[in-house]
Amino acid sequence: MIDPLALFFLAVIFIVSLPSAIYSLGYLKNEYSSAKITLAWVLLVAFVLSMALVVSVSNVLVFLVFWEIMSLLSYFLVVFDTKHEKSIQAGMIYIVMTHIGTAFLIAAFLLMYKYAHSFDFLAIKSACLSMPAQTRNIVFLLLLVGFGTKAGIVPLHVWLPYAHPQAPSHISSIMSGVMIKTAIYGIIRFVIFILGAGSSWWGILIIILALISCLVGIIYALMERDIKKLLAYSSVENMGIILLGVGLALFFQSVNMPYLAVFSLIAGLYHLVNHAIFKGLLFLCAGSVYKASGTRDIEKLGGLIKQMPLTAGFFLFGAMAISGLPPLNGFVSEWLTLQAFFLGAFNTIGGVKLFLGICAGLLALTGGLAAACFVKAFGLTFLALPRSHYAKEAREVALSMKLGMFCLALLVLIFGLAAAIIMKLLARVAGAACGIDIGNMAFFLNNFTLSPQVGRGIYLSVPLLAIWLIVLGVLGFAIYKLFWKGKSVIYKTWDCGYYNMDSRNEYTATAFSKPFRIAFSFFLLPYRKTQKIRDSFYHVKSFAYETHTTLIFKKYIYDPAIALVLTTAKAMRRIQPGSIHLYLGYIFITLLLLIIFIHQF
Amino acid sequence: MQGIILFAVLASTYLMLIAKRMPALIRSFRYQSFCLFLATLLIALSERQLDLYIISGLLFILKVLLIPQLLYRILRRTNTKEDLGLFINPQLSLLLALVFSYLSWIFAAHLVTPVKEIQISILAVTFFIILAGIFLMIFRMTALAQITGLLVMENGLFLLASAVSGGMPFFVEIAIFFDVFMSVLIMGFFVYKISKLFTHIDVNKLSRLRG
Repeated sequence: MIDPLALFFLAVIFIVSLPSAIYSLGYLKNEYSSAKITLAWVLLVAFVLSMALVVSVSNVLVFLVFWEIMSLLSYFLVVFDTKHEKSIQAGMIYIVMTHIGTAFLIAAFLLMYKYAHSFDFLAIKSACLSMPAQTRNIVFLLLLVGFGTKAGIVPLHVWLPYAHPQAPSHISSIMSGVMIKTAIYGIIRFVIFILGAGSSWWGILIIILALISCLVGIIYALMERDIKKLLAYSSVENMGIILLGVGLALFFQSVNMPYLAVFSLIAGLYHLVNHAIFKGLLFLCAGSVYKASGTRDIEKLGGLIKQMPLTAGFFLFGAMAISGLPPLNGFVSEWLTLQAFFLGAFNTIGGVKLFLGICAGLLALTGGLAAACFVKAFGLTFLALPRSHYAKEAREVALSMKLGMFCLALLVLIFGLAAAIIMKLLARVAGAACGIDIGNMAFFLNNFTLSPQVGRGIYLSVPLLAIWLIVLGVLGFAIYKLFWKGKSVIYKTWDCGYYNMDSRNEYTATAFSKPFRIAFSFFLLPYRKTQKIRDSFYHVKSFAYETHTTLIFKKYIYDPAIALVLTTAKAMRRIQPGSIHLYLGYIFITLLLLIIFIHQF
Repeated sequence: MQGIILFAVLASTYLMLIAKRMPALIRSFRYQSFCLFLATLLIALSERQLDLYIISGLLFILKVLLIPQLLYRILRRTNTKEDLGLFINPQLSLLLALVFSYLSWIFAAHLVTPVKEIQISILAVTFFIILAGIFLMIFRMTALAQITGLLVMENGLFLLASAVSGGMPFFVEIAIFFDVFMSVLIMGFFVYKISKLFTHIDVNKLSRLRG
């Protein structure tokens, strides 16, 4: 069904996939054999097409088929690097999780079909009006789990930090930037568009889950030292921010506030396209770092800005956008999401007011942590001294890779500056998705200024802000030049006046994240391992010190679940002793039971 | 006449269930098939249809002559003991066979709504033959007994088809005959291979083959 919503998602898919495809020209070269490069291209094209078809079909059955094709193709891309044991493991986790999600989706679709007797979207939409409230709740929960698995909502996010980093980088950028967004498409299409607004707890549930995703995602990202894993965890956080917008829209729709519903959905969709762009950009940059240095470990990098100035510049651009710094696109969408919360808090009463206020606070906390996280990612990777031979030998990447990154960096800037125009387009998408007429709603003053609270005097004009920043910057620089007469001294990197600092006693990523590890120790449960090997009591020959954090979702949810499955499987195996006579006996007994069963009825 | 043939079929099936050695089993199978042939011939004589003559002729050639001959041949070629390898001894088998016949009688009586003695007994006997086939497959150890069990089940199905719908369509019947013949050939080959590889054809000892 080609409506504004589908068109929007098609646009998102193609504006991220095209630069990634250009990038892959240089990325794949010299990395794989030519047969494998051809395979990579075939898979890439098929993957992008399958995503495009997922968002443009109008039949549940066909949707499911393309959904599954998309999942399988991305699985093949995750295990593309067959040399690494880790790829196979990551692929395994991914394919199990994604199929659990699909199972929930099938259950939801079959429930819908029972009422509609048709697989067509519009037929189901009209049938959903007559569905009993209890069934609607069940369908909603099934859809939430099903799409939530793909979207990476905590605690269903476990596959994401394994699968995304393991794929080739241009695929990571498409997976993280676009593929997980198809889950948001699913939620908007099936919950908001088809199922319609139900009880108000639907929206609240999504908001709570989204906030947990935000905080958990960004805290784990802060602890991570693998640069692509860090970005994957940050995707969990950003999916949370997008879902905040979606959840708010659902909530406002259920309490009959159409203006706010449309506004929140705009905020969510805006963050969606922004995240697609800057996460795509960051993954491409991380891929360049990996290609140039051969490692993804931040601790082993450092000082890359000298060898790879362009990549560093693009990464900084992406990092600024994802941290929500003006005048880039991340700032606009996070501002809109916060405004949606404030507007909601102003216009509701009682406990909801408090709830929305607290949510806004937690979202702000997320923003702060994201900034810290990307200070770490950029600072420790590109600044400081090189901490290993990997970083020393890095060289700037090929032209096509730079071009791919440049396209996305340009989009980051455009989506920041042209906010009002883009919002105008998004308003139509959001209106169509919610089924609300937006003819008499205004979200902006003119083509440059956003104004969510018309009459309250709160405006945001990104181009004006950009001009102010430039003017103030130039002014400050001029004052500095005019009044500073001292001579500039060029000294060692990050030496801070110390006399002989080398790369071994510099600040590291683990050291940078230590305050956060302590602050969130109730959740991260950090622990240390020390190991001393002594010659004698006085002479310690070697000393190893490790610090780890506990992955509580893995330890307390997934490990017990897996153990349970394995023990059940072992118990079930007892009925398979290998005796053909026994198997024949099973058939015989089944036959007898069936005869008795027929006799009963 | 029908009653006598049915009784003969039943008796030959009982013989099979209490057989201890392979030749006895094959001989009883031959009796059973011969009774089936007689039954089909009887119907053919009364209905005067060419199809039925051909079917009864094929039945005679395949199931009375060729297949038992083939089974004997496999038995000789594999050079194994003639023991069937009983999980359940003949006495208990007989008791169980009685229980099975009673159960199939009840089942048949439930199926036929206007109560007709002869139809109920035909159905009961066919169900009993099928159950007996499964019984042979489960509770006899050698692979040859499993083949025979399958053939017995097939006989039961043939009788069932004739009893319920006056026989399957001609071509289907022919096709089934050839299928049965081919499957006996193939399974015989397998049994031969098994005996060459493991020096026995005791299926009970093949449990290490599971994955």
